[in-house]
Amino acid sequence: MKFNEAAVFKWVVIVGAAGALIVAVTLLTRPLVGALLLLVIAVVGCVYGYRWSRRRWRDLGARK
Amino acid sequence: MESASVAVGQAHADHHHHGPPEANQSSRIDRQTLGILLFIVSEVMLFGAFFASYFFLRVVVDPQSWPPEPFELPKAVAGMNTAILISSSFTVHYALESIRRGNRTGLKLGLVATWLLGATFLFIQINEYVHLGFSARDLSFGSIFYSLTGLHGAHVFVGLCLLSFATIRAFRGHFGPKEEDHLGVEVPGIYWHFVDIMWIIVYVTVYIL
Repeated sequence: MKFNEAAVFKWVVIVGAAGALIVAVTLLTRPLVGALLLLVIAVVGCVYGYRWSRRRWRDLGARK
Repeated sequence: MESASVAVGQAHADHHHHGPPEANQSSRIDRQTLGILLFIVSEVMLFGAFFASYFFLRVVVDPQSWPPEPFELPKAVAGMNTAILISSSFTVHYALESIRRGNRTGLKLGLVATWLLGATFLFIQINEYVHLGFSARDLSFGSIFYSLTGLHGAHVFVGLCLLSFATIRAFRGHFGPKEEDHLGVEVPGIYWHFVDIMWIIVYVTVYIL
Protein backbone atom coordinates (compact mmCIF):
# COMPACT_ATOMS: atom_id res chain seq x y z
CA MET A 1 0.00 0.00 0.00
CA LYS A 2 1.33 3.40 -0.94
CA PHE A 3 0.99 6.36 1.43
CA ASN A 4 -0.79 9.07 -0.53
CA GLU A 5 -4.05 11.01 -0.44
CA ALA A 6 -6.05 8.27 -2.18
CA ALA A 7 -4.92 5.67 0.40
CA VAL A 8 -5.85 7.98 3.30
CA PHE A 9 -9.22 8.71 1.67
CA LYS A 10 -9.97 4.96 1.71
CA TRP A 11 -9.35 5.07 5.47
CA VAL A 12 -11.83 7.94 5.81
CA VAL A 13 -14.46 5.76 4.11
CA ILE A 14 -13.58 2.70 6.25
CA VAL A 15 -13.60 4.66 9.54
CA GLY A 16 -16.78 6.48 8.46
CA ALA A 17 -18.56 3.18 7.77
CA ALA A 18 -17.39 1.72 11.09
CA GLY A 19 -18.50 4.90 12.89
CA ALA A 20 -21.94 4.79 11.25
CA LEU A 21 -22.33 1.15 12.32
CA ILE A 22 -21.39 1.97 15.94
CA VAL A 23 -23.75 4.98 16.02
CA ALA A 24 -26.63 2.85 14.67
CA VAL A 25 -26.00 -0.01 17.10
CA THR A 26 -25.64 2.37 20.08
CA LEU A 27 -28.83 4.27 19.29
CA LEU A 28 -30.77 1.02 18.73
CA THR A 29 -29.48 -0.73 21.86
CA ARG A 30 -27.34 0.62 24.74
CA PRO A 31 -24.05 2.57 24.89
CA LEU A 32 -22.35 -0.49 26.41
CA VAL A 33 -23.12 -2.56 23.30
CA GLY A 34 -21.75 0.23 21.10
CA ALA A 35 -18.61 0.47 23.24
CA LEU A 36 -18.07 -3.31 22.92
CA LEU A 37 -18.55 -3.11 19.15
CA LEU A 38 -16.02 -0.24 19.07
CA LEU A 39 -13.59 -2.40 21.02
CA VAL A 40 -14.07 -5.35 18.66
CA ILE A 41 -13.57 -3.13 15.58
CA ALA A 42 -10.47 -1.54 17.14
CA VAL A 43 -8.96 -4.98 17.93
CA VAL A 44 -9.72 -6.27 14.40
CA GLY A 45 -8.14 -3.09 12.98
CA CYS A 46 -5.01 -3.56 15.12
CA VAL A 47 -4.67 -7.24 14.08
CA TYR A 48 -5.14 -6.29 10.42
CA GLY A 49 -2.54 -3.49 10.74
CA TYR A 50 -0.07 -5.80 12.51
CA ARG A 51 -0.41 -8.52 9.86
CA TRP A 52 -0.06 -5.95 7.07
CA SER A 53 3.10 -4.47 8.62
CA ARG A 54 4.60 -7.99 9.11
CA ARG A 55 3.93 -8.82 5.46
CA ARG A 56 5.40 -5.51 4.35
CA TRP A 57 8.60 -5.99 6.36
CA ARG A 58 8.93 -9.56 5.01
CA ASP A 59 8.54 -8.29 1.42
CA LEU A 60 11.11 -5.56 2.03
CA GLY A 61 13.54 -8.15 3.48
CA ALA A 62 13.06 -10.44 0.47
CA ARG A 63 13.95 -7.61 -1.95
CA LYS A 64 17.38 -7.02 -0.31
CA MET B 1 43.62 22.85 -22.46
CA GLU B 2 39.88 22.28 -22.88
CA SER B 3 39.68 19.81 -19.97
CA ALA B 4 41.56 22.27 -17.78
CA SER B 5 39.04 25.03 -18.53
CA VAL B 6 36.14 22.63 -17.76
CA ALA B 7 37.77 21.74 -14.42
CA VAL B 8 38.20 25.43 -13.62
CA GLY B 9 34.55 26.08 -14.49
CA GLN B 10 33.43 23.20 -12.25
CA ALA B 11 35.57 24.51 -9.39
CA HIS B 12 34.06 27.95 -9.96
CA ALA B 13 30.50 26.52 -9.82
CA ASP B 14 31.33 24.57 -6.62
CA HIS B 15 32.82 27.69 -5.10
CA HIS B 16 29.52 29.59 -5.65
CA HIS B 17 27.29 26.83 -4.18
CA HIS B 18 25.89 28.07 -0.88
CA GLY B 19 24.28 26.14 1.94
CA PRO B 20 24.39 22.44 2.83
CA PRO B 21 24.51 19.73 0.14
CA GLU B 22 21.26 18.29 -1.19
CA ALA B 23 19.69 15.90 1.33
CA ASN B 24 19.55 12.22 0.41
CA GLN B 25 16.04 11.19 -0.64
CA SER B 26 14.42 7.76 -0.62
CA SER B 27 12.95 6.65 -3.93
CA ARG B 28 9.97 5.15 -2.06
CA ILE B 29 8.50 8.28 -0.51
CA ASP B 30 9.11 11.97 -1.16
CA ARG B 31 10.14 14.37 1.59
CA GLN B 32 6.86 16.24 1.85
CA THR B 33 4.76 13.08 2.16
CA LEU B 34 7.17 11.59 4.70
CA GLY B 35 7.00 14.86 6.66
CA ILE B 36 3.19 14.85 6.83
CA LEU B 37 3.22 11.12 7.74
CA LEU B 38 5.54 11.73 10.70
CA PHE B 39 3.52 14.80 11.70
CA ILE B 40 0.30 12.75 11.66
CA VAL B 41 1.94 10.05 13.80
CA SER B 42 2.78 12.74 16.40
CA GLU B 43 -0.78 14.09 16.17
CA VAL B 44 -2.22 10.62 16.78
CA MET B 45 -0.17 10.49 20.00
CA LEU B 46 -1.50 13.91 21.04
CA PHE B 47 -5.11 12.88 20.46
CA GLY B 48 -4.36 9.57 22.17
CA ALA B 49 -3.32 11.46 25.32
CA PHE B 50 -6.59 13.42 25.30
CA PHE B 51 -8.65 10.25 24.75
CA ALA B 52 -6.79 8.57 27.59
CA SER B 53 -7.76 11.50 29.85
CA TYR B 54 -11.36 11.28 28.65
CA PHE B 55 -11.71 7.57 29.42
CA PHE B 56 -9.84 7.95 32.70
CA LEU B 57 -12.25 10.67 33.85
CA ARG B 58 -15.25 8.72 32.60
CA VAL B 59 -14.22 5.63 34.55
CA VAL B 60 -13.03 7.46 37.70
CA VAL B 61 -16.00 9.84 37.93
CA ASP B 62 -18.27 6.86 37.22
CA PRO B 63 -21.64 8.65 37.15
CA GLN B 64 -24.96 6.87 36.71
CA SER B 65 -25.31 8.39 33.26
CA TRP B 66 -22.86 9.91 30.82
CA PRO B 67 -22.83 12.86 30.28
CA PRO B 68 -23.55 13.48 33.97
CA GLU B 69 -26.75 15.31 34.95
CA PRO B 70 -27.70 18.03 33.98
CA PHE B 71 -25.37 18.15 30.96
CA GLU B 72 -26.84 17.30 27.59
CA LEU B 73 -25.09 17.16 24.23
CA PRO B 74 -26.81 17.98 20.90
CA LYS B 75 -26.28 14.63 19.15
CA ALA B 76 -28.34 15.50 16.06
CA VAL B 77 -26.60 18.84 15.39
CA ALA B 78 -23.19 17.24 15.90
CA GLY B 79 -24.29 14.39 13.59
CA MET B 80 -25.14 16.89 10.86
CA ASN B 81 -21.79 18.55 11.44
CA THR B 82 -20.10 15.15 11.08
CA ALA B 83 -21.84 14.63 7.75
CA ILE B 84 -20.64 18.07 6.60
CA LEU B 85 -17.04 17.28 7.54
CA ILE B 86 -17.11 13.83 5.87
CA SER B 87 -18.50 15.48 2.72
CA SER B 88 -15.48 17.78 2.71
CA SER B 89 -13.21 14.72 2.48
CA PHE B 90 -15.03 13.72 -0.71
CA THR B 91 -14.63 17.21 -2.19
CA VAL B 92 -10.89 17.37 -1.45
CA HIS B 93 -10.54 13.91 -3.01
CA TYR B 94 -12.46 15.18 -6.04
CA ALA B 95 -10.10 18.18 -6.25
CA LEU B 96 -7.06 15.89 -6.31
CA GLU B 97 -8.57 13.45 -8.81
CA SER B 98 -9.36 16.45 -11.02
CA ILE B 99 -5.80 17.79 -11.06
CA ARG B 100 -4.45 14.27 -11.69
CA ARG B 101 -6.53 14.32 -14.88
CA GLY B 102 -5.45 17.88 -15.69
CA ASN B 103 -8.85 19.40 -14.87
CA ARG B 104 -7.98 22.74 -13.22
CA THR B 105 -11.61 23.86 -12.93
CA GLY B 106 -12.42 20.72 -10.94
CA LEU B 107 -9.42 21.37 -8.69
CA LYS B 108 -10.57 24.92 -7.92
CA LEU B 109 -14.18 23.83 -7.45
CA GLY B 110 -13.18 20.98 -5.11
CA LEU B 111 -10.89 23.16 -3.01
CA VAL B 112 -13.42 25.98 -2.67
CA ALA B 113 -16.17 23.48 -1.74
CA THR B 114 -13.86 21.86 0.85
CA TRP B 115 -12.98 25.21 2.35
CA LEU B 116 -16.65 26.23 2.59
CA LEU B 117 -17.66 22.91 4.18
CA GLY B 118 -14.79 23.16 6.69
CA ALA B 119 -15.73 26.74 7.57
CA THR B 120 -19.37 25.68 7.99
CA PHE B 121 -18.28 22.89 10.35
CA LEU B 122 -16.25 25.34 12.44
CA PHE B 123 -19.07 27.91 12.48
CA ILE B 124 -21.60 25.29 13.65
CA GLN B 125 -19.20 24.08 16.34
CA ILE B 126 -18.68 27.61 17.69
CA ASN B 127 -22.45 28.13 17.60
CA GLU B 128 -22.84 24.86 19.52
CA TYR B 129 -20.40 26.08 22.19
CA VAL B 130 -22.45 29.28 22.58
CA HIS B 131 -25.70 27.36 23.13
CA LEU B 132 -24.44 24.38 25.15
CA GLY B 133 -25.16 25.96 28.52
CA PHE B 134 -21.98 24.79 30.26
CA SER B 135 -18.36 25.88 30.09
CA ALA B 136 -14.93 24.27 30.44
CA ARG B 137 -15.02 25.19 34.16
CA ASP B 138 -18.07 23.00 34.85
CA LEU B 139 -16.80 19.75 36.35
CA SER B 140 -14.30 17.41 34.74
CA PHE B 141 -16.85 16.59 32.04
CA GLY B 142 -16.94 20.22 30.85
CA SER B 143 -13.13 20.39 30.87
CA ILE B 144 -12.56 17.24 28.87
CA PHE B 145 -15.43 17.95 26.46
CA TYR B 146 -14.06 21.38 25.54
CA SER B 147 -10.47 20.07 25.50
CA LEU B 148 -11.20 17.26 23.04
CA THR B 149 -13.57 19.14 20.74
CA GLY B 150 -11.49 22.33 21.02
CA LEU B 151 -8.31 20.45 20.13
CA HIS B 152 -10.06 19.10 17.07
CA GLY B 153 -11.49 22.53 16.22
CA ALA B 154 -7.96 23.97 16.32
CA HIS B 155 -6.89 21.29 13.83
CA VAL B 156 -9.80 22.20 11.54
CA PHE B 157 -8.66 25.84 11.72
CA VAL B 158 -5.10 24.87 10.75
CA GLY B 159 -6.49 22.70 7.94
CA LEU B 160 -8.52 25.67 6.67
CA CYS B 161 -5.36 27.81 6.62
CA LEU B 162 -3.54 25.12 4.59
CA LEU B 163 -6.51 24.83 2.23
CA SER B 164 -6.54 28.61 1.81
CA PHE B 165 -2.92 28.54 0.63
CA ALA B 166 -3.68 25.64 -1.73
CA THR B 167 -6.77 27.40 -3.11
CA ILE B 168 -4.91 30.68 -3.73
CA ARG B 169 -2.13 28.75 -5.49
CA ALA B 170 -4.72 26.82 -7.54
CA PHE B 171 -6.30 30.09 -8.72
CA ARG B 172 -2.82 31.34 -9.67
CA GLY B 173 -2.30 28.21 -11.81
CA HIS B 174 0.44 26.62 -9.72
CA PHE B 175 -0.50 22.92 -9.91
CA GLY B 176 -0.17 20.30 -12.65
CA PRO B 177 -1.18 16.67 -13.36
CA LYS B 178 2.26 15.16 -12.57
CA GLU B 179 2.61 13.76 -9.05
CA GLU B 180 5.40 16.15 -8.03
CA ASP B 181 3.45 19.13 -9.39
CA HIS B 182 0.47 18.88 -7.04
CA LEU B 183 2.12 18.05 -3.71
CA GLY B 184 0.82 21.41 -2.47
CA VAL B 185 -2.70 19.96 -2.63
CA GLU B 186 -1.82 16.36 -1.79
CA VAL B 187 -0.23 17.17 1.59
CA PRO B 188 -3.08 19.42 2.88
CA GLY B 189 -5.47 16.75 1.53
CA ILE B 190 -3.83 14.04 3.65
CA TYR B 191 -3.98 16.34 6.69
CA TRP B 192 -7.64 17.11 6.02
CA HIS B 193 -8.51 13.40 5.82
CA PHE B 194 -6.71 12.86 9.14
CA VAL B 195 -8.78 15.67 10.72
CA ASP B 196 -11.94 13.98 9.39
CA ILE B 197 -10.98 10.56 10.79
CA MET B 198 -10.24 12.12 14.18
CA TRP B 199 -13.63 13.85 14.22
CA ILE B 200 -15.46 10.58 13.50
CA ILE B 201 -13.69 9.05 16.53
CA VAL B 202 -14.38 12.14 18.69
CA TYR B 203 -18.06 12.20 17.69
CA VAL B 204 -18.63 8.50 18.34
CA THR B 205 -16.75 8.59 21.65
CA VAL B 206 -17.98 11.88 23.14
CA TYR B 207 -21.48 12.32 21.72
CA ILE B 208 -22.74 8.78 21.12
CA LEU B 209 -21.17 6.29 23.54
